[in-house]
Amino acid sequence: MPPAEPPAVPGGSTRARPNALLVLAAALLVARIGTGLYEERHPPSMVELVHWQPIEGAEARASAERRPVLYDFTAEWCVPCQTMQREVFSDPQAARDIDLNFVPVRVLDRTREEGQNLAVVDSLQRRFRINAFPTLVIVRPGGGDPVLLSGYQGKLQTLQRLHAVQVQGLLPFPTSAPPGSAGGR
Amino acid sequence: MNVTLVTTFWRQRLTSAVRLAIVAMLTGVPLLAVAFMPGAGLGVLGNAQGLVLTLGAGMIGQDVSSGVLQLLCARPVGRPDYVLSRWSAVGLAGVAISLVQLGLAVAVLGARGHAPSTQEIALFGAQRSFECLGLAAVLALLSSLIGGIGDLGLYLVANLGAGIVQMVGQVKHWRWMDTAGAELLASLTPTLDLPRLVASTPMPWSPIASYASTVVLCLALAILAVNRKELSYASG
Repeated sequence: MPPAEPPAVPGGSTRARPNALLVLAAALLVARIGTGLYEERHPPSMVELVHWQPIEGAEARASAERRPVLYDFTAEWCVPCQTMQREVFSDPQAARDIDLNFVPVRVLDRTREEGQNLAVVDSLQRRFRINAFPTLVIVRPGGGDPVLLSGYQGKLQTLQRLHAVQVQGLLPFPTSAPPGSAGGR
Repeated sequence: MNVTLVTTFWRQRLTSAVRLAIVAMLTGVPLLAVAFMPGAGLGVLGNAQGLVLTLGAGMIGQDVSSGVLQLLCARPVGRPDYVLSRWSAVGLAGVAISLVQLGLAVAVLGARGHAPSTQEIALFGAQRSFECLGLAAVLALLSSLIGGIGDLGLYLVANLGAGIVQMVGQVKHWRWMDTAGAELLASLTPTLDLPRLVASTPMPWSPIASYASTVVLCLALAILAVNRKELSYASG
């Protein structure tokens, strides 16, 4: 005769009230409501130190101020864009330099979220043949070929390239989508 | 968590040709898309909703309908243990398949010269894992309420209802209704938008609290629902 197995559940009942889970669920529900209400009044924001200018009139303003336009083609879902936002545009020194030396313009793609973009966004994407995010485009005042920095190559390299444009004029940059871009519209 | 229950569930799922075919399709088709459109990155892989629904449909309801739950409880196995084991089995299977798919996608992207960054891979993998475990908890609750694979229908109806609530709120400009619909939809597919979380300052806690509360609440309610079931060999 095989030995009797010990009962898996004391007392023979298979039911047990999940008290710990219920207490935890109640506490988390309170936390959910509390944090929700708090963050509705104090919404956290993506760190934003660069003073982005509206798309309309940016190039006219750049011509008047003799500064190049820096277009940042980006999308909310794009992870490398968020990395660049955190590492470059949220860096106080970098943001100051960008504000000082460029007319910064953010061009946000909303195709995935809304099915289409604003006409002005589509027009800029077509004009610069944007096929990956992030892409930085620098347009000098008075025309000339724009400089494309496609994909995010890291903070140091991005700042070096922006600096090169700023102090030396246009340098040859790669225009194909390298690693570090999230591409696709 | 009862390891025997988890492995038994996996073995049972592996015997279902239909489920395996759907899982293979849901895993393979996005990989083909990655291979043909490497510039689109990991986003092409989409979410884990279809995968978890395929793996988890009927996770409790089928046991109730087929009489397996009566046998398990005669063992005896504690009902909370049973529910948590089912949730773990579905969630972990989803996580494992998602990570294998991610690994293959990274290999394909690397071979095509579009290797994603380590951070992007880590965030994507973690987000998919949270999504699998979260949706498995919702499905555990729905499956504890209805027999067979009725949980799948319940999930679709709930999504449709929440979508209608949100749409009416938006059309009528009733913010409370819009918010209620959005909260319902988010609760039906709990996940954490990790890229957005790490890029925000200060880090928002409400999405984390929402996710955790949905998962824990669903599991607690599923256990209560299974506790209420009167099981006998005569029951259908």
